[in-house]
This record gives sequence, C-alpha cells and structure tokens, in this order.
Amino acid sequence: MSTLTNVTTIARREYGVRVRTRSFVFGTALLVLGVVAIALLPVIIRALDQLDQTRIAVSADSPEVSATASATLDQLLNPPPPNGSADRQAGYEITVVGGADAARRAVLDGDAGAGLAITRSDSGELDFVLYSNDSSTGRTAILVGQAANAVAIADRLERAGVAPADQATLFAPARFQVAWPDPAKEGPTQDTLTEAGQDLLGFGMTILIFMIIVMYGNWIAMSVVEEKSSRVMEVVLNAATPFQLLAGKVLGVGGVAFTQYGAVVVAGLASLALLDPIGSVILGQDAAALSLPSGLTPGLLVAFGVYGVLGFLMYASLYAAAGSLVSRIEDVSAAVMPMTFLSLGGYFVGIYAATGLLDIGSGWITVLAMIPFFSPFMMLGRIAVGGAVPWEIALSVVLLVLGIGVAVWVAARIYAAGVLLYGQRPGVRTVWRLLREGM
Amino acid sequence: MTLMIDGLRKRFGEVQALDGVSFEVPSGEVFGFLGANGAGKTTTMRIVLGLLRADEGTVTLDGRPAHDLPRRTWGYLPEERGLYLRMPVIDQLVYFATLYGVPRAKARADALGWLARFRIAEYADRRAETLSKGNQQKVQFIATILHDPDVLLMDEPFSGLDPVNVALLKSAFLELRDRGKALLFSTHQLEQAEELCDSVAIVDRGRIVTSGPTRDVKRSTGHQVVRVAVAGDGDGSWLRGLPHVTVTRPGRDYTEVLVDTGANPQIVLQAALARGGDVLRFEVGDPSLEEVFVERVGAVDTTERTLASVEEVRA
Repeated sequence: MSTLTNVTTIARREYGVRVRTRSFVFGTALLVLGVVAIALLPVIIRALDQLDQTRIAVSADSPEVSATASATLDQLLNPPPPNGSADRQAGYEITVVGGADAARRAVLDGDAGAGLAITRSDSGELDFVLYSNDSSTGRTAILVGQAANAVAIADRLERAGVAPADQATLFAPARFQVAWPDPAKEGPTQDTLTEAGQDLLGFGMTILIFMIIVMYGNWIAMSVVEEKSSRVMEVVLNAATPFQLLAGKVLGVGGVAFTQYGAVVVAGLASLALLDPIGSVILGQDAAALSLPSGLTPGLLVAFGVYGVLGFLMYASLYAAAGSLVSRIEDVSAAVMPMTFLSLGGYFVGIYAATGLLDIGSGWITVLAMIPFFSPFMMLGRIAVGGAVPWEIALSVVLLVLGIGVAVWVAARIYAAGVLLYGQRPGVRTVWRLLREGM
Repeated sequence: MTLMIDGLRKRFGEVQALDGVSFEVPSGEVFGFLGANGAGKTTTMRIVLGLLRADEGTVTLDGRPAHDLPRRTWGYLPEERGLYLRMPVIDQLVYFATLYGVPRAKARADALGWLARFRIAEYADRRAETLSKGNQQKVQFIATILHDPDVLLMDEPFSGLDPVNVALLKSAFLELRDRGKALLFSTHQLEQAEELCDSVAIVDRGRIVTSGPTRDVKRSTGHQVVRVAVAGDGDGSWLRGLPHVTVTRPGRDYTEVLVDTGANPQIVLQAALARGGDVLRFEVGDPSLEEVFVERVGAVDTTERTLASVEEVRA
C-alpha cells in the first residue's frame, strides 16, 4: 500500500480516537472558556469598576473651598481615558455634605467609602482629615492626599493674591517630550504600554508553543508505549512500515493538538475582535476606550503558526522515538528526558528574553534562536519586539525544516528497532547501535 | 508457490537466537513449527515478515526476496495478542485491512462474515476490551486473514482456546489451505500439529533438529511403533528376545515395542503367531510427534529449560 494512503489511514485513526474522548472535549471547552474570559478581562474589569463606585463625602467651611476641592478630587480620582475620548470613567463619586461631622458619619453609616473634612485653622491654613476604613497608604488615600495638596496650594496662592484664572497658567504642565537619540527616526518613542503588550504577546505565544510540544509530545510517547505494551504494535507493523506508523501518529496527534489550539486561538481572536461590540453592550458608551492589543499583527500570527507546527513536528518525532524505546508507561518520563531538557532550555531562555530579564538583542540569543531545538521558543519573542530581521527569520525556518528532516530520519530508525524491543530500558550505547545498524 | 527459508542466523548480543534455520513451506500446506520457548520460532517469523533483519540467510517466495513483496502477501498472528482495547471490534478489523489496501466497504463486509462464522457477530460494535480472551483471539485471527494474504504466519494460534473454538479455527485453517495459502504456525500442542500439519519442523536453540513431511519426521527416529496383545500372555517377555525390537511399554492390555526401521514389523506378528496364542491386537504405526520431540530435543539437551518445555508439552 502506498505510504501516503497508510499515513493518512493511521493519522485518521489516531485523530478520530482521540477527539472523541471525553477528556478532549471537556479540556478543549475549558480552554476556550478560559481564553475568552482572559480576552474579555478588560471589559469585565471595567464593568466591575463601574459597579464598584466609591463615594467620597466632602465637607468644607466655605462653599468656595468645597467646590474647588470636589472639582480637584474629580479631576484626580477620575482621570480621562488615555486616548482622549470625552467619556470619563467615573470610579469615584464626589458629594458635598454639610459639616465635618457629616463627612465622618457618612463613612460610619456606610453611605460613603471615604469622607474628607476640610476646615480652616486659626492660622489660615486648610486642615484636611480623611475618614476612611481603608489603609492610609491605599489608592484612595494617596489620591485624596494629592488632591489635598493641590487644593492647599491653590488656596495659599489665592490668599497671596494670585487669581484662580492665573493659576491655570501657573499649573499648566511643562512642555516635555521624549525623543529618539537617532535623528533619522521620527515619531514618538514606543510607549511602555505598547512595548509591554508586545512582550506579553511573544511571551504568551511561546508558552502556547511550549505547552503544545510538551503536552502532545508526551501524549505521543505514551501512545507508542501503549501500542507496544498491548502488543498491537506487531500487528500494525506487519501492515505498515515503522516510518508510516511514526508519521501517521505524529500527524494524527498533531491534528488533535492543532484542533484544540485552533479552537483556542479562534475563540481568543474572535473575542478580541468582538471586544468593542461586547464592550458597548456591557459598558454602554464607555466601550470606545477599549482597543485590540497593538502588537497582534497578521505577520506575528503566521509566525506563531509556522514555528508552532514545525517545532511540533520535530519534537513530536523525537518523542515518538523515545517512546518506542521503553515498554512500560512508567518509563516514559525518563525516556523523554532529553526532549524535556531541550525544550525547557529553549523555553526559559525565550521567556527570559521576551520579558526583558535577558537582553533579547544580544549576540548569543540571536545565535541560539537560530538553532532548530530552540527557535520555536525564541523567535516569536524576537519577532514580537521587532528584533528579528527577515533573513534571520528565513534562516531559522530553513534550519528548522532541515532539523525536522534529521529528526524524522533518526526517529524512524530508532522507532523501527525500538518498537520490537521489550524488557530492559536501553541505554545510550544501545540507542547509538540502533542508529548505526538499524534493527 | 513456495516459501523458502535458507540459512537464517541471528544474534542478539550474547545469544545466538538462530543458528542456520532452513526449511520450506509450499502453498496449499499447513506447516507446523515446533519448539520450546526461546527456541527461535518467533525470531524466525519476525525475520520472514521483515520485522527483524537476519545477520545471514535469505527468505524467498518463489525465488523473490520476501522484502520485495507487497505487505498484503503476509498475514501475521503474533503470540501476544494485540488489539486496540478501546476500539470497537469492527472498526479495528476494518482499520487493519485498509492498511493492507483493502477497500473499506469490502473489509467491513468480509469482517462481518468472519465474525458470524466464528459466532461472535454480536460483538462487532463492542470495544475489544469487553471480549473474553478466546473471543479476542478469534478477532485477532480475522485481522490476520482479512486482507487475504498468501502466506500466514501464526504464533501459537490455538493457545487459550476451548475445544469448540479450536475446532472452528482448524476448519478455517483447512479451508485456507485448500484455497492454496501457505500456513505456518508454531505450537506447543503436538497433538494439534500431528492432526493438522502436512509438514513440520522441530527447532531447538536456533537449529532445525528435523523437518519435512510429518510422516517422514515421525519415521526419522529410526523405528516404528508396534502394539501387540496375545491372549493369555502376561508380560510379553517373549518379545525381549526378538532382534531389532525394544520393549518400551509393557502393559496389561497390550505391549508397545519399537521396531528399528529396516526390520519388518511383521516379525513381531510372526513371533506371536509362532507362540500359538490368539493374536488379539496387532498394530503398526509411527511414533507420535510428541515421542519424536522428546527423543530429539530431550535427548540432545538435558538442561532445565528443555526439560521444562517437555513437561509443558506433556501437560
């Protein structure tokens, strides 16, 4: 029978048997729910924020002071959204009450989250007392403290004869900008938020790839051992070549992996794309403030797919070969140790580089990111922050494809001999002999 | 069509598993492969199937190297039964057959036919793990033959089957033989082999001790078995004096003696008649395969391993 037909038949069985298991169906559903929840997190958090409006009761001796104070508090506690939209998120509601004791009572009775009592002392200075059940270093206390400073200064200036209208110019922010050291570059430097978002994207994708490889790699190794221990292996081996079996298994389980992660990615992207409509339903007009993660370009998604698939193919063949060397499920973890170490190594360096613990632009990371065992974990981080030039990406993909060729050749040879090897777990020397001589 | 196995040698580390194994299996024949555990039966089969590579020697079918032939030429029933335990019976039968290139619909129809013939049609949609050992074994046999292979290699096909199922399997064997297939199976149960096999080979420690048509193998011991009973004759001591005759089992009903080949067994009858009593029983036959096995394997080697296997054969 032709190789392709058999590989397809085997892959289809592997796929069909697995996607019908209850654990797969529930696992996938859970993952999809999780990713949708994470994607919608900004909306959810802001919806919760809205529900959780803190009221601050303000009292002052004179209406002028209480008016200034509540205006300042409103400005500081309810900052305008970053993109300059007119809608403001009202996390705090400021109400003016009469008398210092009323402010205290409002907190005591639970009508307000905090009460600010402003009194003018004999020296003419304003005294501020914040009544609160929360920590004195909490967010509310600190923000109110800042507001108090501003109100006190404005009051002193007014007493010194500076009219409130002039104060506006006095307090106008300085003209300050951050510029590229290289005059050739234009526009603003990357703002930290965007950069963090991109780091996070590379980081998240690397985690996904690592999970796919380790989880499904182990799954493949297990299923090889299962076929060996149930002795069904000999029956199948008479019908199909070891290579067909290996390829069918890797592709079948790979299909399962990508069904699961495809569902997760589609669900994630769909909820990101639907963030605006969903947001406006939940938050009302506030939704305009939400936006897609800035670094999620089609190019990065393609790179994620390419490195994910290629990395999986290479590691999965080796996992299958490792599985073929042992006869008992309990020996699997020892047999897949080399792959575990290689993938963990690549993963940690990749994650450290993506999160900035290691300098992602340094030479050794650039070189390491080219090596087939590591590129699936390291290139995404580099691409996400724009650190990889096209030829580097191309070269790493070519090397990865070559790596797959070598891995499949090695794996097929080990597999062909290993699947009929029962009993003692073979050592390094046996594996080397199998590689040289075949069965 | 003849399967020719010529001079196979295979070494696993310290152990010389096969040390020059040669025999022939013509199509339309049932061939018994007899030997103790570890004698080299499974290794030989795996080499024939190309699952293992021999250090030396060749396997050919009608002069063509075995590994050049399409996989569907071969049917293999391994000693350790192997099925996907959580897969429905019919699904895995179809799966195995499609791997050999049988169209799905035909595989399904044939599989259902065989399941009915083996009286397990109602298990078609059950998962294999829910079947008894004997029924699993029948499923495994169907998996072996569903792609209509020319050569069937079966490792201990009868072990663990009850007499009814043994009879079902035997009739399937004979039908396949009559359709011109070459069947080779290994067994411990020598009576089974004696009844079914046109030819046998006895293998011990990687060497073929004897092989050929069953009758020739039985006669290869160099004597025939004669059972004789004469009225009023107590212990048959008169037989001890005869040339070329050895008394093996003096019994009450009859006495069993071995007569060397070359000598005519009729000398026993003549001697009995000459004594003047009524001859109640006179029977000439070949030694059983069990006797051949014990004599050839047991005599060649008296280590514990071989003795244990002889015990097993007798049990």
